[in-house]
Amino acid sequence: MATVVVIDDETMNADALAFLLTAEGLEVRTAADGEAGLRLISDLRPDVIVTDFMMPIMTGLDLARAVRADASHANSKIPIILFTAAQAEIGRSHPDLFDVVFEKPCSPKEIVAAVLRLAKQQRNT
Amino acid sequence: MIRSAQRLNSPHPGSGHIAICPDIELAMTKELVRVQSGVPGLDTILCGGLVKGAAYIVQGSPGAGKTILANQIAFNQTRDGGRALYVTLLAESHDRLFQALSMFDFYDPSAVGRDLFYISLFKVLREEGLAALVNALRSELARHHCTTLVLDGLLIAKDKAESALDVKTFVAELQSHTAFTGCTVLFLTSAPIDDVSPEHTMVDGVIQLKEELVGIRTVRQLRISKSRGSAALGGLHQYRISETGIDVYPRLEALLGTPSSEEWLRDERIATGVHGLEQLIGGGLPPAAVTLLMGPAGSGKTTFGLNFLSLATPEKPALYFGFYESPQRLKAKGRALGIDLEALERAGALIILWNPMTENLLDSLGHQLLDTVRQRRVHRLFIDGMTGFERAAVYPARLSEFYTALTNELRALGVSSVATLEMRDLNGLAGTDPLPEFTSLMDNLVLLRQAGMHGELRRFIGVVKMRDSAFDTAFHNVVIGPGGLQVANRLIIPGDTVDKDAGIASPSVQAPSGA
Repeated sequence: MATVVVIDDETMNADALAFLLTAEGLEVRTAADGEAGLRLISDLRPDVIVTDFMMPIMTGLDLARAVRADASHANSKIPIILFTAAQAEIGRSHPDLFDVVFEKPCSPKEIVAAVLRLAKQQRNT
Repeated sequence: MIRSAQRLNSPHPGSGHIAICPDIELAMTKELVRVQSGVPGLDTILCGGLVKGAAYIVQGSPGAGKTILANQIAFNQTRDGGRALYVTLLAESHDRLFQALSMFDFYDPSAVGRDLFYISLFKVLREEGLAALVNALRSELARHHCTTLVLDGLLIAKDKAESALDVKTFVAELQSHTAFTGCTVLFLTSAPIDDVSPEHTMVDGVIQLKEELVGIRTVRQLRISKSRGSAALGGLHQYRISETGIDVYPRLEALLGTPSSEEWLRDERIATGVHGLEQLIGGGLPPAAVTLLMGPAGSGKTTFGLNFLSLATPEKPALYFGFYESPQRLKAKGRALGIDLEALERAGALIILWNPMTENLLDSLGHQLLDTVRQRRVHRLFIDGMTGFERAAVYPARLSEFYTALTNELRALGVSSVATLEMRDLNGLAGTDPLPEFTSLMDNLVLLRQAGMHGELRRFIGVVKMRDSAFDTAFHNVVIGPGGLQVANRLIIPGDTVDKDAGIASPSVQAPSGA
């Protein structure tokens, strides 16, 4: 079973997405800030990361940089989806950090499909 | 923008008007550093702006505009080089918020995430409590170097508290941190705030937003119910929400309790533009006076006004402030009378402002009028007519005070004003008493009347009052035709009976009287 970490300070958004992904057979864990998200990533080594941009403690951008800079290289290749209300442009200007960028609001189907696609790719590599 | 404030800018930026806070309060505000809210009118009501490092509660029922007000202030801070943190607890999602804000001119998406940061700390509050929330807020403020904090959801934080002491401690801890760092705080809440609410006792100021139904219309009003250590204009002030955000209109009589400057008393007469009238009123109107033209529809009030406006020049421009004719219809009326308003407008001699008599706000009208007079250095003003103010008044009982403030300020600005008042009637000459409040408020009172006589409709003019002037009290015929309104011969009605019933004064000259 593929694992996904969803990081969003608006915990109800994270919970709603987690519910949809769980229904697709994925294992999902959520965090409400970048620091807690990094801990989860380190512990779980998920197949996909979905993160918001503006969050307490560290932004989604800082989180993605931290993941990509993982010294052990264990996590540096995990696909990251940026799911943001106002920073989609910043995300798109960092294709090295974010594999896919979604701007809120967007169709839940699209983001679920993207997570499933990236999880499958990750499992096949 | 941050400044020490003793004097106030105009309620609406750009007018150049300076008003002064009530003297009694001035000493209290001397040392305070102000932060401009960027909400037109609000800084005037706050006697210079928000106090830097102070904490305010913004209270109002859902839909009153708290979120708009707070975001408008936050975006303004970023335009002035500040940084703001907007923290939600249990509110609408941020993407919904941005969708709603994108309808407003002040919303700048490029500032979001760069100078203005939106985060939710609901999980911290729910799982760790108020003390942890204070710590998280301190960390985030430091991380982003913020000068403004908005906490949207004080009621939610209060729900987490187990006692009034918890609420006070939460507010006090946050307040002491932000005061020390010079960060201004806005707590948003929909909970009714009374004087003994723990949060009310702790904060420096309370801004209440109120939306209510008056008859069948919605009226929004703002009140500063607490302003610790700083003056504020008391009472309710109307505000409007439009695509520009919130505009607050300080209650005119509260702002201009006394005029902004000394009245001009020049020794000259102001031509009316009405041929034949000057000789009845001592050579013209007294300077910087307010003249009320009273009469029924069709008696020539607007035509009189067009004559008055026709003497405007680019150096001494005029303002038409009307509620009835649209600019196009007004110009057509002018063309029919041979008064070329378009040419005056093109030359910069005439400004036309039209506010259809729909759902206007009284103070918005007053400020629009005075701001235009100040900005364009208007010398002649024609208001058509006073009913437009009356219909906009939510509380008609304040009209006398409003008119007093408005007319005093117009005199102080040296404007010669003519205003119309439509009176019922009157197919005759009886009932010439003006409304009591206007008798003393206006410098000059002029009646325009019409009556069917000998099978034709005849129009008349009569001067009831003319400040500091000798004037002819006899009624005179007036004719409307090419060139507008003209005063003709003295009215002569055969037979004493009609004369008596009509209440026409005998041809005579009234001795000069004071205003």
